[in-house]
Amino acid sequence: MGVIDFIIKNILTQAAITIALIAMLGLVLQRKSTGSVLTGTFKTLLGFQVLSAGSAIIVGSLTYFGKIFQHAFHLNGVVPSIEAINGQAMNTLGLGNEIAFTFLGIFIVNILIARFSPFKYIFLTGQALLWMATMTVVGGKIAGLGGMWTVLLGSIIGGIFAVAMPAAAQPFVRKITGNDAIALGHFCTIGYLVEAGTAYVFGERGENKKSVEDLKLPKSMEFLQDTYLSIAVIMVPLYMITAAFAGPKWAGSGTTNYIMNAFMQGIQFVVGVFVLLAGVRLLLGEIVPAFRGIAMKLVPNAKPALDCPVLFPYAPNSVILGFITTTIGTVIGMFLMPVFGLAVILPGMLTNFFAGGTAGIFGNVVGGRRGAIIGGIVHGLFITLLPALLVTALTSFGFVNASATDSDTIMAALMYAWIIGPILKAV
Amino acid sequence: MAKKLKIYFICGAGLGSSLACQMVTEDVLNRLGLEEDLEHEAISSSPGLRTDIIVSAENFKTQFEKYELDSAIKMVYLHNIVDEKEIEAKLVPVIKELSN
Repeated sequence: MGVIDFIIKNILTQAAITIALIAMLGLVLQRKSTGSVLTGTFKTLLGFQVLSAGSAIIVGSLTYFGKIFQHAFHLNGVVPSIEAINGQAMNTLGLGNEIAFTFLGIFIVNILIARFSPFKYIFLTGQALLWMATMTVVGGKIAGLGGMWTVLLGSIIGGIFAVAMPAAAQPFVRKITGNDAIALGHFCTIGYLVEAGTAYVFGERGENKKSVEDLKLPKSMEFLQDTYLSIAVIMVPLYMITAAFAGPKWAGSGTTNYIMNAFMQGIQFVVGVFVLLAGVRLLLGEIVPAFRGIAMKLVPNAKPALDCPVLFPYAPNSVILGFITTTIGTVIGMFLMPVFGLAVILPGMLTNFFAGGTAGIFGNVVGGRRGAIIGGIVHGLFITLLPALLVTALTSFGFVNASATDSDTIMAALMYAWIIGPILKAV
Repeated sequence: MAKKLKIYFICGAGLGSSLACQMVTEDVLNRLGLEEDLEHEAISSSPGLRTDIIVSAENFKTQFEKYELDSAIKMVYLHNIVDEKEIEAKLVPVIKELSN
């Protein structure tokens, strides 16, 4: 009994070990060589620890930012970052193990649905699945579920999303790519549908429809495709301006000038995201191909649902326009939310680029230029409203100064907070 | 046996679409009996990368041109980064050229 007890208490409760064992299982099932199994398992383990290190850096920087924002504007400024939420949930809040099992569970439910229903989508965007697993586990905990039920329910809800979202996006994706070969696997799809719907109502139609792709856009915007640069471009000035309002008393540190200190803290945020995503890359580099190999064997005619940038080469102008209009929407939203008594949600540049860019493609294909512009601004407002609705629940649960992004994962969490939680309490 | 070539797949964050492209390429190479060393990364990390080939989507082309990459690195730009036919047509000749 002592041995089993030791295994349960010391090994299976270590999230890094759990996720490494999941990767190992995937590699063994694919009959990889012993060497590949060992290196793959080790890389996954390493990935988890790198992710934790990145998370600690982000939390440090966000704590500073929260403090100076509070003293500068007497409001809570919340940074929407699913990476920060995932990092905090996995480490500070100790939910890593449940998230790892839910991640595996979503894979299994996804394969089952694809195998036995007409919807043959296999969701292969690993980080999006990780975010979904995070948010369903957080949702389960907020609703007051126990560990096993959190994992079970999270797997089912996440698995349904993993098939339903690519299916909902497919009519548009077919129009964008001109064929049925690619499916979109990205949990910002509800936002894309909001943009497409807006573009349909307010956009150009028929003969008058002019595509954004016929415009010449300035080449200088292309650097925004570089994820880390685009975060830095917004976060660093945001820290510095806030520090200027907060003053040296709150924003300074030792003998360093307070604006300089804010500058370095802003850079630290980008560093944290860089390290965290490097961890995610290591963590998923083995698991995703293993899942793909297994799923493709079990599901005949499976259609892989892939990350949003696979669509970018089809409509590069729409991506840039979508990014700009979504950012305008999020800036308007930042000022608008406190008017309704909600938290101040700062523009989240990572999601503005990836989700905004993809939403722009949807807006353009449905409603041309006018559709893409109006749709983009509405999309920006929508993705600011969602994290604002979630802030109270997250803060009371112990998250530091951050809220989630990625509309579908927030929808899943809100489902727990608004529907599942109250039902459980009533029963 | 010839030395394995290092091939990097690059996208904005180095997470999703670069890995998708890498997995499809692995299928293509397996089918053709080729075995190379495949990795994926974010575009921020590409300056200074030591590799034989970089594969990326064509919307990144202007950005790569701004970096001063080692001129020995062969660049392959794809329109549909998960299209087996396009990968075979554009990447395989480069691999063959470098392997000889």
